[in-house]
Amino acid sequence: MTTIVQDRYAEVKDRFQQLFVQQEERLNGLKDQPLHDIRRKAMDRLKEQAFPTRRDEEWKYTSVNRVLQPNYQEGNKASLTAEDIAPYLIDGLDVHLLVFVNGIFEPGLSSNGNTAAGLTIIDLNQALQEDKFKEAAQLQLDKLILESDDPFRSLNGAFIRNGLFFHVSANMVIEKPVFCLNLATPGNEAALINHTKLVTAERNSELTIIEAYYELPGSEGTYFDNVAAYFQVDENAHVHHYRIQQEGKNAFFISNIDIEQDSDSTYSSYVVDLGARLVRNNMNALHLNKGITTNYYAAYFGKGEQHIDNHTFIDHAVPHCQSNELYKGILTDKARGVFNGKVLVRRDAQKTNAFQQNSSLVLSDKAVMDSKPQLEIYADDVRCSHGATIGQLDEPSVFYLRSRGLSDAAARVMLQQAFIAEAVEEMKHEEMIAYAEDLIIKKFEE
Amino acid sequence: MLSVKDLQVQIEDKSILKGINLEIKPGEVHAIMGPNGSGKSTLANVLAGREEYEVTGGSVEYLGEDLLEMEVDERALAGIFMAFQYPVEIPGVSTSNFLKSIVNASRKSKGLEELNALQMLKLIREKIKMVDMDEKFLKRSLNEGFSGGEKKRSEMLQMALLEPQLAVLDETDSGLDIDALRIVAEAVNKLRTQDRSFIVVTHYQRLLNYIVPDFVHVLYNGRIVKSGDKSLALELEEKGYDWIKQEADAVSAL
Repeated sequence: MTTIVQDRYAEVKDRFQQLFVQQEERLNGLKDQPLHDIRRKAMDRLKEQAFPTRRDEEWKYTSVNRVLQPNYQEGNKASLTAEDIAPYLIDGLDVHLLVFVNGIFEPGLSSNGNTAAGLTIIDLNQALQEDKFKEAAQLQLDKLILESDDPFRSLNGAFIRNGLFFHVSANMVIEKPVFCLNLATPGNEAALINHTKLVTAERNSELTIIEAYYELPGSEGTYFDNVAAYFQVDENAHVHHYRIQQEGKNAFFISNIDIEQDSDSTYSSYVVDLGARLVRNNMNALHLNKGITTNYYAAYFGKGEQHIDNHTFIDHAVPHCQSNELYKGILTDKARGVFNGKVLVRRDAQKTNAFQQNSSLVLSDKAVMDSKPQLEIYADDVRCSHGATIGQLDEPSVFYLRSRGLSDAAARVMLQQAFIAEAVEEMKHEEMIAYAEDLIIKKFEE
Repeated sequence: MLSVKDLQVQIEDKSILKGINLEIKPGEVHAIMGPNGSGKSTLANVLAGREEYEVTGGSVEYLGEDLLEMEVDERALAGIFMAFQYPVEIPGVSTSNFLKSIVNASRKSKGLEELNALQMLKLIREKIKMVDMDEKFLKRSLNEGFSGGEKKRSEMLQMALLEPQLAVLDETDSGLDIDALRIVAEAVNKLRTQDRSFIVVTHYQRLLNYIVPDFVHVLYNGRIVKSGDKSLALELEEKGYDWIKQEADAVSAL
């Protein structure tokens, strides 16, 4: 007799299958396009995969049960005006703006005309059909989605909607950042909002991508941002990647970011997580050649029952590369934080310089932080350091500030802000530091 | 301005101050001296509002109000400034942001308009010159990695910006070099006015070479056992504290 192991999430996967059928109906005439072939393959993979449970070491502290319970529908179109989006723009920074509402591109709200010379931004569907890009797009989608065992990546692939393909030609420095503004206006039905990006920066090029995620005021619905992005950073190219996340109280946010870097390139990630009920970020960088720098800077601030989980991975596969990771956060009320930072230094990766620090302020009895640095070092001539601290505010400092006339609350806010500012101030653009700090201050005032 | 009456204080059931009486009028400079363990720093800390100290008797009135009922920040906004001997280092809080915040908090409590960035810069520049501090410190984290003298300058700069009614300078312990003493003294002398009062808590007379006090009080065993003018400080410098102790012990033995 055989025992049939019940798939805990079989019903959930059935629902996604039904949603997939609905998507096909909506797509109708577009089903023969190459992108739909990707979607179909991803859906097939999803059927074979199991969603993680807390028995999986990588998901020990984060249960996806809550994320998978709602009966998701695709995001709906919503008509917004320039006035609606104005509060989310970045003061003083000239950007190429791309606006997405519930995952759907809004050309009317976005920058008109061409991007800078040397920069191409096109829909994934188009990229898969253009001779110049189709090979790269296919390869990156394979790596990001179709060769992965992660069901959330498959889910992303199955519902790619307005996915983007970015390409910077060799030797082109793109001064003006691309700002992808994602707004959610959830209604009564839970929405599955998909974000898929493929980015190629050819040799000697430079690009800044800013992603921001907000829920519009007045709507407090359930939605699930499923983010997947792939960065190919060629020789001596430099990519700055910002992600500012302030989703709503009932939002779920799961991201998978893969970075593949060639020699002397830099990839810098600047993340600020302030919103959403549950956040899980997976960052994976692979070093292909010498002289690479990877920077992960992140600030997080959890209140109420927020759950913020950062899993990072840097694969030092070759010699003479460096990585810097600084994750700083504040947890209060019943919020929970997780940090798992894996650094793998392979046997050949001599002269690796890897730094990792995770520090959290845990400000209430019921707030929890689990921090796990995970260094695996197989080379002998390397400099690797890591640290994890979990603590409270320094009371003598509070007293000192109060003795100068600041109220107890103002003193505490000043110290908490200073604590996470360290990670924010690593940002390359001063306008972004101001933008992020402003959001953080507003969160204190909530 | 400040009226301390029969103040009794203990820490963890140990009696430290056993009935202090002190009257400070506008414009006066009072020096509080005394041997180690006499209760000098306890007095300074109670005035500053540290909560570890338990007041078991007596009263402190400041400008007609019950000081002991006031929160630390209320005391500051009411015009009391506490210059600490060892100011804490606060990484991540830039000195300039901190100064802006405290100046505006003080102005707000007085019903004045907050200063804009330009006005603030002008004010800070003016005061920073007064305490002879380098402007580069404004960009650094508050007190972080500052030398002893730089920390003193930072304290005096804050005092100059907040323009208190009453400043309490805690210089209880030794270990201050002569430069640091001079920084404190020069700032105090520049800020001495007809209405502003100072309490200078010090173990050694040498600070009083630079700040000439109107009154000198000697604290011993939790009581003020002798008060006089500046000549008392010179006498202490010459003869040490032993004669005071003997006198006081003889009195209490009666």
